[in-house]
Amino acid sequence: MSRRTNLFVLALLSATPAGAHPEIQDALDRLTTALATTPNEASLYLERGELYARHEDWPSAEANYLRAAELAPRLPRLALARGSLSLARGQVSAARAFLDQAIALAPSDPTALILRARALARLGLTPDALTDYTQAFALLATPSPELYLERAALFASPADALRSLADAFVRLGPVMSLQLRALDLEVALRRFDDALARVDLLTSASERRELWLKRRGDILVSAGRHAEARAAYVAAQTAIAALPAWLVASPDTVRLSTELTRLATTTP
Amino acid sequence: MPPYHHLRYIVAVTIALSAIFSLPAATAIIRGPYLQSATPTSMVVRWRTDNTEPSIVRYGLTRTELTTTVKAEGITTEHFVHLGNLKPNTRYYYTMGAEPVAKPAAVGTKKAGGTPAAAEAEDGPGRAPTSSFVTPPESGFSQPTRVWVLGDPGTKGDTQRAVRDQYYKFTDKRATDLWLLLGDNAYPDGTDTDYQKAIFEMYPETLRTVPVWSCLGNHDGKSANSITQSGVYYNAFTFPTRGEAGGVASGTEAYYSFDYANTHFIALDSHDSDRSLGGAMMTWLKADLAATKRDWIVAFFHHPTYTKGTHDSDKDSDSAGRMNDMRQNFLPVLEAGGVDLILTGHSHVYERSFLLDGHYGKSTTFNAATMVKQKGEVRADGVVVYRKPRARTAHFGDINVVTGSAGHAGSKTKPPALNHPAFYISLNEAGSSVLDIDGLNLTLTFLNDKGEQRDRFAIIKE
Repeated sequence: MSRRTNLFVLALLSATPAGAHPEIQDALDRLTTALATTPNEASLYLERGELYARHEDWPSAEANYLRAAELAPRLPRLALARGSLSLARGQVSAARAFLDQAIALAPSDPTALILRARALARLGLTPDALTDYTQAFALLATPSPELYLERAALFASPADALRSLADAFVRLGPVMSLQLRALDLEVALRRFDDALARVDLLTSASERRELWLKRRGDILVSAGRHAEARAAYVAAQTAIAALPAWLVASPDTVRLSTELTRLATTTP
Repeated sequence: MPPYHHLRYIVAVTIALSAIFSLPAATAIIRGPYLQSATPTSMVVRWRTDNTEPSIVRYGLTRTELTTTVKAEGITTEHFVHLGNLKPNTRYYYTMGAEPVAKPAAVGTKKAGGTPAAAEAEDGPGRAPTSSFVTPPESGFSQPTRVWVLGDPGTKGDTQRAVRDQYYKFTDKRATDLWLLLGDNAYPDGTDTDYQKAIFEMYPETLRTVPVWSCLGNHDGKSANSITQSGVYYNAFTFPTRGEAGGVASGTEAYYSFDYANTHFIALDSHDSDRSLGGAMMTWLKADLAATKRDWIVAFFHHPTYTKGTHDSDKDSDSAGRMNDMRQNFLPVLEAGGVDLILTGHSHVYERSFLLDGHYGKSTTFNAATMVKQKGEVRADGVVVYRKPRARTAHFGDINVVTGSAGHAGSKTKPPALNHPAFYISLNEAGSSVLDIDGLNLTLTFLNDKGEQRDRFAIIKE
């Protein structure tokens, strides 16, 4: 018996994925019943494989994908599903090959492009990965912040990483996770005025200004601008004083206030 | 009948007929209207028509004076109209379309809790009647707030209807201010058809009078993708991504936050977004928790931190480890940020914890002596009371509620274990939860599908 056949038989015999839930079992039963009447329906194997993959039952997923591939090698979504599975299992070269196929079949599929970008990045093919990310971003109405962070992480140069985030702010607005990444990059690049401008923006939009004013002070210390840093720490204390009494009394705020007092007096 | 009476009759009929036949071919509203992204000064009204037409909402402060008209660009079947410059805590009446329209025939009328039901027209297809909504109060302003919480409702069956109707009966004329869907809103696959039946045809009057908020469940995730923010779930809902409803800009509808009165609500995506410690959702959450000045912090997401219901949070393989991720990665951050209440679904039971802190492992690592911050005092009215200081204090304790039975409960013949030691009470019953927040008092009631209040607890801040 071939390895493929072994896998398939094994998958068929495993009635339930580990930790299965009645709804998953219902869905599996539905597909298995349908396959009993139409055993050569590749899309049902694909669907069942996707169900297993969603629950990280990789061998069962693979067995179903293999059967689907035997029946209909060019089945839409199959190469994508196999690429996704291979990537999840750490089989990066195989993932790349499947995703190449998926993209050849559907060049404008942003999901396939993102998955291939991840595979390429793990293979060390950074320029190709960046190309895929950029192409996917062009296809998406609203790329998620985590995709922008993934792409930014691929750049060796902080300046390039920072530039890559600019598009995100235009399209998504002042997203906090991206603002914080950009702030770190600006400080790493010693672009202190740009970093301070970003902090000022965050301060103006925040109800808890004291946290950002402290960050402003910290950046100014890094820049060697100590007098301005002290002023920022004092401004943070003033912002704390303006909070409702119950928030001023909260342990976190008390700790911050103590720290600000120390910084305001010890910063040279 | 005198001859001139015949004449008057003929003229009247002629005028009526000509009026009918001169109307443009009307499109029918086949979904909604429904209310989204409510803020003290804005509301998004959405609906779907069977044919393309302009997106127009007329609204005003009285039912008879819909004096302001907002028209979105273009013509479409998926309508989205943003109403801005509204007054906080104010009732607005609204309808869709440029012209007043006839009241449609009544179909399957259900009374929505607390809405001026007598004044609202009946549910059903066709053109929209005039409806109303109340804008949220200004953020930070304290006023009694009722929240209806539905976990895993979307079975489309009798149980879902019973749970719904018992809530309507329970709340009666008390207004519902907002409602939360904890994911798995539309079984089995979260398709557009599933959503139509399980949500839009199940709660039509509540949808058009009360803003709804949601998080993504695994069944919704079968037809949606958080990374690309595409698919049925993301097409159906409009949530704030730029911090416009309070909180910090997340840049995604997969996770977001909003304020209602003196409560800060945080929606997380436990299904499809990066749940790692260094991920974008985690970075955002930490900043969001640090930024809020509201008295209460309520977090909601689909996969529970603890459960021994129709899922088992001790099994690494269950739900592909998502429950582990939420418990090990997110719970410590939520507790450090002073969260008061965590609402989840996924497991089709009701499980409610003690006031807890620091339990991030499997149930075998649960240490009641160190992790149960308060067992709760049972008040004369049966409410279990917990007390917290008003000054926000990291790791003072929070209550975890699994309320995932708004569509169905676990099997009666093979009942779930329901033996997680973190829980004060565990019930294999269908139902929904009712969250009432009034100043520094928060009360949650689990209402089953028979209308019985099976658990009530309160957190009082002092």
